[in-house]
Amino acid sequence: MIGRKWWVPWLWLMPAMALLSIYLIYPTLDTIRRSFFDERSRDWVGLDNYRTIIENPNPLINDTHSALLNNLIWIPVFTGVTVALGFIFALLASRVRYEAIAKSAIFMPMAISFVAASVIWRFMYEINPDIGTVNAVVTELGEKPVAWLQNTESPQYWLLETGPKQDIGPIQTNNLALILVGVWMWVGFAMVVLSAGLKGISTEILEAARVDGANEWQILWRIILPIVSPTIMVVATTLVILALKLFDLVFVMTGGRFDTDVVATLFYKQLFVQQNDGLGAALAVVLLVAVVPIMVISIRRFQFQEETR
Amino acid sequence: MFGLRNAGFPFRMFGLLSLALLVAAACGDDDGGGDGGGTPTGGSPAGGDIGSVEVLGIWGGDPELPSFEAMVAPWESETGGSVNFTGTRDITSILTTRVSGGDPPDVAIPAEIGLFKQFASEGELTPLSDCPGLEEKIRDEYPQSFIDLGTVDGELYGFFMKADTKATVFYNPSFFTENGYELLPEGSTFEDLITLSDEIANGGVVPPWSMGMEAGAGSGFPGSDFIQQLILNEAGEDVYDGVVDGTTPWTDPAVKDAWEKFGQIALTDGFTVQGGADVINATNFQDAVFPPFTDPPTAAMAYLGAFAGGFITEQFPDAQAGEDFDFFTFPGGKVTGGANLVYAFNNDETTCSFLNALAGAEAQQIWVERGGFTSLNSNVDLTAYPDDIARKAAQQLLEAEVFRFDLDDAIGGATQTAIFSGVTGYLQDPSNLDSILQQIDAAQGGQ
Repeated sequence: MIGRKWWVPWLWLMPAMALLSIYLIYPTLDTIRRSFFDERSRDWVGLDNYRTIIENPNPLINDTHSALLNNLIWIPVFTGVTVALGFIFALLASRVRYEAIAKSAIFMPMAISFVAASVIWRFMYEINPDIGTVNAVVTELGEKPVAWLQNTESPQYWLLETGPKQDIGPIQTNNLALILVGVWMWVGFAMVVLSAGLKGISTEILEAARVDGANEWQILWRIILPIVSPTIMVVATTLVILALKLFDLVFVMTGGRFDTDVVATLFYKQLFVQQNDGLGAALAVVLLVAVVPIMVISIRRFQFQEETR
Repeated sequence: MFGLRNAGFPFRMFGLLSLALLVAAACGDDDGGGDGGGTPTGGSPAGGDIGSVEVLGIWGGDPELPSFEAMVAPWESETGGSVNFTGTRDITSILTTRVSGGDPPDVAIPAEIGLFKQFASEGELTPLSDCPGLEEKIRDEYPQSFIDLGTVDGELYGFFMKADTKATVFYNPSFFTENGYELLPEGSTFEDLITLSDEIANGGVVPPWSMGMEAGAGSGFPGSDFIQQLILNEAGEDVYDGVVDGTTPWTDPAVKDAWEKFGQIALTDGFTVQGGADVINATNFQDAVFPPFTDPPTAAMAYLGAFAGGFITEQFPDAQAGEDFDFFTFPGGKVTGGANLVYAFNNDETTCSFLNALAGAEAQQIWVERGGFTSLNSNVDLTAYPDDIARKAAQQLLEAEVFRFDLDDAIGGATQTAIFSGVTGYLQDPSNLDSILQQIDAAQGGQ
């Protein structure tokens, strides 16, 4: 920085900082403030809104427990399935000649918006077999059509007709149906990033391993996965944040009805339909707190990578 | 923060600057900028142009939006004004946001009155007496029960248009005569309706009912309509009124009985063509009206408000009113219904002129003739209705001995959400009824 005034970089940063302050920092602080006030943000109520979230006194109008549990199930299932499938597709695609076509096909759902995907799948899940593709397949197989978006039974019940009828917590048919749509949308992203990661493995290592007599499974578990694991972490982190932020998909497909609510749709409804600013803000703060650890891990890893350059 | 190890003075500068920006942002918010209304009224009316009026309503597409536009076209050409209409089903949230942000529309036309009462008591609305001639016109031409509903704290703040009776059960007359089913005579009760349903179910031709609850964010409203009809007819006006103003709890045995009667129709084996709570919850409310009128019919009856007539004529353009589709009055004869409420946030000359035109019989008659609209204005000629069914629905509404405004629209707010969720929840698990009713009570109590 010889010969340059110290304040020049700050000058270039100033507009971005200003925008960030107004549109990010101020709303965040104000939301935290509102979470301690009542519905119209007039009277101080302290921790009452948080108490409502924990106690869940009126599930008919705002089922906070269901929303939190649903987010909790989205994280492992959505992330796990997307990463696993993305990895498998990346692995398989790298071994065929039509790799580019296969990858494009799997990546295509990423090109449409969440809302568009939700509308498509709403029609797919339609109860009327003449409209709903999924139920058309089900009726062809001889079964009765299933109300995919309304059914809250646990999948094992309607598959095996045994076990508890009602949901095991949030493991419900309609939740899984929604997660499927999320996976459909994002498996392309996971696949593309993991494919890049896979291509970064030097062929010499793989050849050496084969020469040493390792079979394909051992190569996969002992060599490929460890090398690719940072990439997997990046993808997983992105997907976990996505699962926490999730709104459009749930809002368009079920509006949060039938126990599919997540925190984001719940606080939207509190804010705009029930006009309960306090509870909505409290839920937003809960989400913020939930995301912070993941952000910390992400940033720490980024710093680590920067330092080891 | 990362990388700012050697910060010192620049870092402090940045800190001060962002603090200054935060303070500036905090100072310039809400209360400062409110300038109310915001319509360019008149200005300099060159050549009779009296400006524009901004209307917020719920109609989005065919056939309602073109009908509204046709209704206001004469006012536009006479006065040179223009109507900027925004339609949204999310009207409650948009209205709340705009009013609290200091930028309400000129006129709002929603369907529920909970928010209206809140705005009126907070002083946001213009009393109709502020517009010359408007209050007299309403008192002159509209039924007393609707004038009462539009009155808050003794002042008249709004009038109703586009009413719909909800005491209509749709059926296929030719199907009934072909199979020898008799319509319920006057003075029937709900038990007679069950007997008729049993008869049809045992007949083995089709199930007696078709029912659908799905309606996006409002899923469950058809069930709520059915239950409120039961409360009014089986439990009586006093119980109904008590539920609306909160003096009768939802856990009252008379109210619980109404829910269970609804459950009888929806959940008894073989009574609905949908055949199960999940399917009923998943079937769209419009699609659920069609089974009695397909060729051949797949159900005998479908319950929905009079607006279903519009769906039927649009889906089956060849259907003849009176022969292929008709409705009979919900047993008991007492009528619930909904209507759109018109109210204004300012008393500008343009707004007042628009309201006067909208409330008048000439404008209302335009939409009446297009169908799907019952006018409450007594000056509208009954012959203007496009078909016998629409006329019959209008008559049912205007001549009802006992009329009550739609229950969940009258209470509004969080309770309405609780009622709708309660309906779908009850269908999924009827044993939960007591807990559902308690929660609706709690929701209404907190309102």
